[in-house]
Amino acid sequence: MTGSRVDLDADNAARDLVSLVLTLIELIRQLLERQAVRRLDQADLTPEQEERLGTALMHLDQAMTDLCAHHDLRREDLNLHLGPLGPLLAENPW
Amino acid sequence: MTATDLSLPHAGTAGGDATATCVFAVRRDDAPEWLPESPGHAGGGPVGLLALPGGGLQAVVQPVAAADFTEEALRRRLSDPVELERCARTHHAVITAAAADGPVVPLPLATLFTGVDRAVAALADQRAHFLAALDRVTGRAEWAVKVHVEPSEPARAAPDEGTDPATVGTGAGAAYLARVRGRERDRRARQEAVLRVAGHVHEVAAAFAVAAVRRTPHSTEITGKDRPQVLNAAYLVDDARAAELVAAVRALDGTHTGLDVHIEVSGPWVPYSFTRSGEGTGL
Repeated sequence: MTGSRVDLDADNAARDLVSLVLTLIELIRQLLERQAVRRLDQADLTPEQEERLGTALMHLDQAMTDLCAHHDLRREDLNLHLGPLGPLLAENPW
Repeated sequence: MTATDLSLPHAGTAGGDATATCVFAVRRDDAPEWLPESPGHAGGGPVGLLALPGGGLQAVVQPVAAADFTEEALRRRLSDPVELERCARTHHAVITAAAADGPVVPLPLATLFTGVDRAVAALADQRAHFLAALDRVTGRAEWAVKVHVEPSEPARAAPDEGTDPATVGTGAGAAYLARVRGRERDRRARQEAVLRVAGHVHEVAAAFAVAAVRRTPHSTEITGKDRPQVLNAAYLVDDARAAELVAAVRALDGTHTGLDVHIEVSGPWVPYSFTRSGEGTGL
């Protein structure tokens, strides 16, 4: 088998699938956070809603950390490079 | 990669030892006699000069084994990073050597013809372009300016839990949300500031140049994970003004404290970015 082709062994395939699924979850998580910040900026949340939304997002963030640790992945590994469109997920802030 | 739109030799038509002609660059033939210092591509014949009809121009060429440069073989070789690097370095070495005593028009990597006659005919068709490009770069060189962001401390500084006075008295959820908002604002503000720096560096450098191009910054796969590039530009500069450009750009490095931007200037380079004809190489 030459150079850059992918070897389809079961372990690798499962691992790649996990990483792809986590990438998609992380994408949605980041979108939710951004949407929450937008709601916060528009000031259309009651303090109670703000607290609930924040708690939910905090738990989601923690769950993501746990899931990554469980599958031996780092957050930075969860990204797809879409060529000229750039990375799918926001990279580290700079 | 331009390999696929070139007329490529067909392997095997004349046994395994047919040769193709690889062209590296075109230069004026009034340049002093040039002795190739670079061996060229591995397995090829000696690098030499080929006079083009009409006078005044010569091409830097090397005979290579056609079997190594078929469309299929090239695709395989150029998609192997190690092999691609070797090819690119060889190509660059020959061009740089050829440019030591006069202007050259570099041709794209893997510019190949089935034989010397075809190379001469195709290059002769572009005579006007080569002459114009040589005039354009005579007495000038390409300088590259790159700006990177290189965080000196880890990018994800520990979020300061509960120190924000606005969050005192509210629950952990609201505090988390406030932190996310702060992080997002900082990120956006930094991003805008960094892009402004990149734009400013470009303006400063372009003031010394007769032509400038801003290319898409390299991805972090090339520059390193925590080292995003925000300016990747090339400038065609009169040799007399090169020192001014270098000094002006270097003076900007380190003036943007707090942003961790690093400004690099390099050159002189063979003017790769300023010698292409309008619609690609059209060979």
